[in-house]
Amino acid sequence: MKILIVEDERALLENMLSYLGGGDIVCEAASNFAEAEDKLTSYSYDIVVLDIMLPDGNGLDLLRLLKQCQPEAGVLIISAKNALDDRVMGLELGADDYLTKPFHLPELNARLKAIFRRRKFQGHTAIHFKEIVVNSDTHEASVHDVPLTLTLKEHELLVFFIANKNRVLTKQTIAEHLWGDSIDLQDSFDFVYQHIKNLRKKITGAGGEDYIKTIYGLGYKMSES
Amino acid sequence: MNLLAKTTIFNLLLALVAFVIGGIQVYHTFKYEVKRETDFSLIESFQPLVSAMEAGVPAAELQSWMLYITTINRIDTPDMQLVFSDTLAFHPVLKRQEPLRMLTTSRNINGVNYRFKVMNVFIEESDIGRIVKNVLKDLFIVLGVILIIFSLLISKFLLRPFKETMQKIKSFNLQSGEVPELPKTTTTEFRQLNVFLKEMLEKNRKDYLTLKEFSENASHEMQTPLAVAGGKLELLVESNALDLAQLQLVQETQHSLSQLSKLGEALLLLTKIENQEFAPHTKYNFSEILQVDVSNFEELAAMKGLKFQKNILPVVQLQLDPSLGHILINNLLKNAIRHNVKDGWVKVSLDHQSLRIFNSGPPPPVPTEQLFERFQKSNQTSKSLGLGLAIVKKICQVNGLPIVYNYQEGVHEVVITLAGASKARSTSK
Repeated sequence: MKILIVEDERALLENMLSYLGGGDIVCEAASNFAEAEDKLTSYSYDIVVLDIMLPDGNGLDLLRLLKQCQPEAGVLIISAKNALDDRVMGLELGADDYLTKPFHLPELNARLKAIFRRRKFQGHTAIHFKEIVVNSDTHEASVHDVPLTLTLKEHELLVFFIANKNRVLTKQTIAEHLWGDSIDLQDSFDFVYQHIKNLRKKITGAGGEDYIKTIYGLGYKMSES
Repeated sequence: MNLLAKTTIFNLLLALVAFVIGGIQVYHTFKYEVKRETDFSLIESFQPLVSAMEAGVPAAELQSWMLYITTINRIDTPDMQLVFSDTLAFHPVLKRQEPLRMLTTSRNINGVNYRFKVMNVFIEESDIGRIVKNVLKDLFIVLGVILIIFSLLISKFLLRPFKETMQKIKSFNLQSGEVPELPKTTTTEFRQLNVFLKEMLEKNRKDYLTLKEFSENASHEMQTPLAVAGGKLELLVESNALDLAQLQLVQETQHSLSQLSKLGEALLLLTKIENQEFAPHTKYNFSEILQVDVSNFEELAAMKGLKFQKNILPVVQLQLDPSLGHILINNLLKNAIRHNVKDGWVKVSLDHQSLRIFNSGPPPPVPTEQLFERFQKSNQTSKSLGLGLAIVKKICQVNGLPIVYNYQEGVHEVVITLAGASKARSTSK
C-alpha cells in the first residue's frame, strides 16, 4: 500500500511517517500545497492522507484535483477543524473518511487499512491473522473455519487488533475507537477489559490461540508469537 | 404603547392644562368686560334720564322696574359718585328674581335731590362659566381628533424610514448575511441613526468573524501540538524500550493530553454555541437521533450493571441543530450513567411535550441549579471535565428550551420542555 501524507505540521508528519512506515506501507510526504500538487500529478497512490488547512492553500482544492487525476485513490482527511461544514464538504467531494486532530496513530492505521480494503477489493476480501479470518464487510469471523458469533463491538475490536497487529494499543485508544470521542466515562476502560475478555473467550472457545496479550497498566497487543 | 400614542396623550394632557388655565383666564376677562360694558351702558342710559328730568319730565313717569327715582331730603348734597353694584330684582316677564347690575347715584335737578337706581340685566357669571366651558370642551375634542389624525399621518409618512430600519435590523443575522442596506431618508436624525447602525453592524460583524476565526484557529493551533505530543508518546510505547513503570507514566501523560484536548474542544463548543454559530435548523425527527444515541449507551449501561428503560415516541419533531442534539443527548446520558449507584437504573422518555432523563444516584453535593455551572463537579478528582451540563444548559438556552434539574429521594431528573420551543425561540430574539 502506497500512501501520500499531506500535512504542514512537521512533527505530526514525522509521527505518522515513523508509525506507519516499515511493514507493508510505503509512505511519502508533502508538507505544503505546492509539493502535494506536484506529487499528486506525478505519481499514483493508493491513499492520500490530507490535512485541510495548509499554509499555501486549502486541502479541499487538493481533494478536487485528486478526484480528477486519480479517481481510484482513497482519501482520508485529517483536520483540527471538526466544524461540520468542513466534514460534510470533504465527504461530499469524495473523501472516504475523516479524522480530527488529535487522533491516535493506531486509529489512523486502522482507518487507512479499512479504506484500502474497500477501495482495492470492494470490501470482499477477508482479513487473515493466523487461523483467524474476519470479513469486515459481512461482519463474519471464523477460527479454523469455525464461525464465531461476535457482537458488533467485538467484531470492531478484532478488526482493530488485526489492523494494528504487533502494536501496543492502550485502553484509551481502544475505548475511543469503539465508542468515539463522546465516551469518556471514567470506567470505559473496564468496558474495554470486558469486551476483550469476551473476545478472547470466544476465540479460544472455537479452538483458536489467544494472541491478545495484556500489557499491565497500559493496554493490549495482538501478536503472533 | 408606542411613541406616537405616548406623545399624543402627552400633548392632549398639556392641551388640557392649557385649556383649563386659558378657560379661567377667558372666564375672568369675559366677566370683567361684561361688567364694564353693562356699567357703561348704565351710564349711557342714565344721562338722557337726567336731561329729560331737567327738561321737566316728572320722575314718576320715568319709573320702571329697572329704574327707581326717589327724592332725598338732604340739602346741599353734592352729586353722589357713581356707585355700581350687583342686585336681585323681580323680572316681570320671566317672573322670577334676576341678577341685575345697578347704578346708584344722586343728582340735584332743578333744586330737588334725587336718588337714582338704574338697573340693567347682564350676563350671569354662571352663564359665562358654562359658555366658556362648552366652547373649550368642543375645541378640545376637535384638537384631540386633529392630533390623533396627525399622529397617524406621522407614523405613516414621517416614521416610515425608521420602521423600515427596525425591520431590517430585526431580520439581520450575524452569522449569515451581509449588513443590510438601510432605507434612504431625508430626516436628519434617521439618517444619522442609519449611519450609526450601519457602522455598528459592520463592526459587530467584523468582530464576530474575527472571533469565529480566532476560536477556530485556537482550536486548530492547540490540537496540532497535542496530536504531535500524543503521537510521540505512541511512538515511545512502540519502541519497546520502556519498562513497566515508564509505560505507566506514558499512559498517564497520554490521558492528561487527551483531557486537555477535550477541554479545549468543549470550551470551543461553548463559545460556538454562545456565538450562535449553529444556524436555526429546520424541523426534523428528533426521536431518530435519540434512538441511535440511546442504543449506544444502553450497552454501556448494561456493562455497568444499570437497568436501562426507554419510552420514546417514534416521531417527535424538533428544531435543533442535529449535531447539538447529539451533544445534548450524549452529555445527559453520560451524566446519568456516570453519577449512578450500584444496581441503579436510567430511564429516558420522549414525547411531544418534553425529553426526560431519570436516573438513580447519590444526592448532588450542591443545589441542582448549580450543577449547570462550568467546572461544577461532584468530585474534583474525577476524570470528567465538568463541562457537560454547562454545554447542555447553553444549548437549551440558545434554542429556547427550558431545562430543569430535580433531585428527590435518590432520583435525578432532567426535564427539557419541548412544547412551545419554537415560539420561545422567536420571541427571545
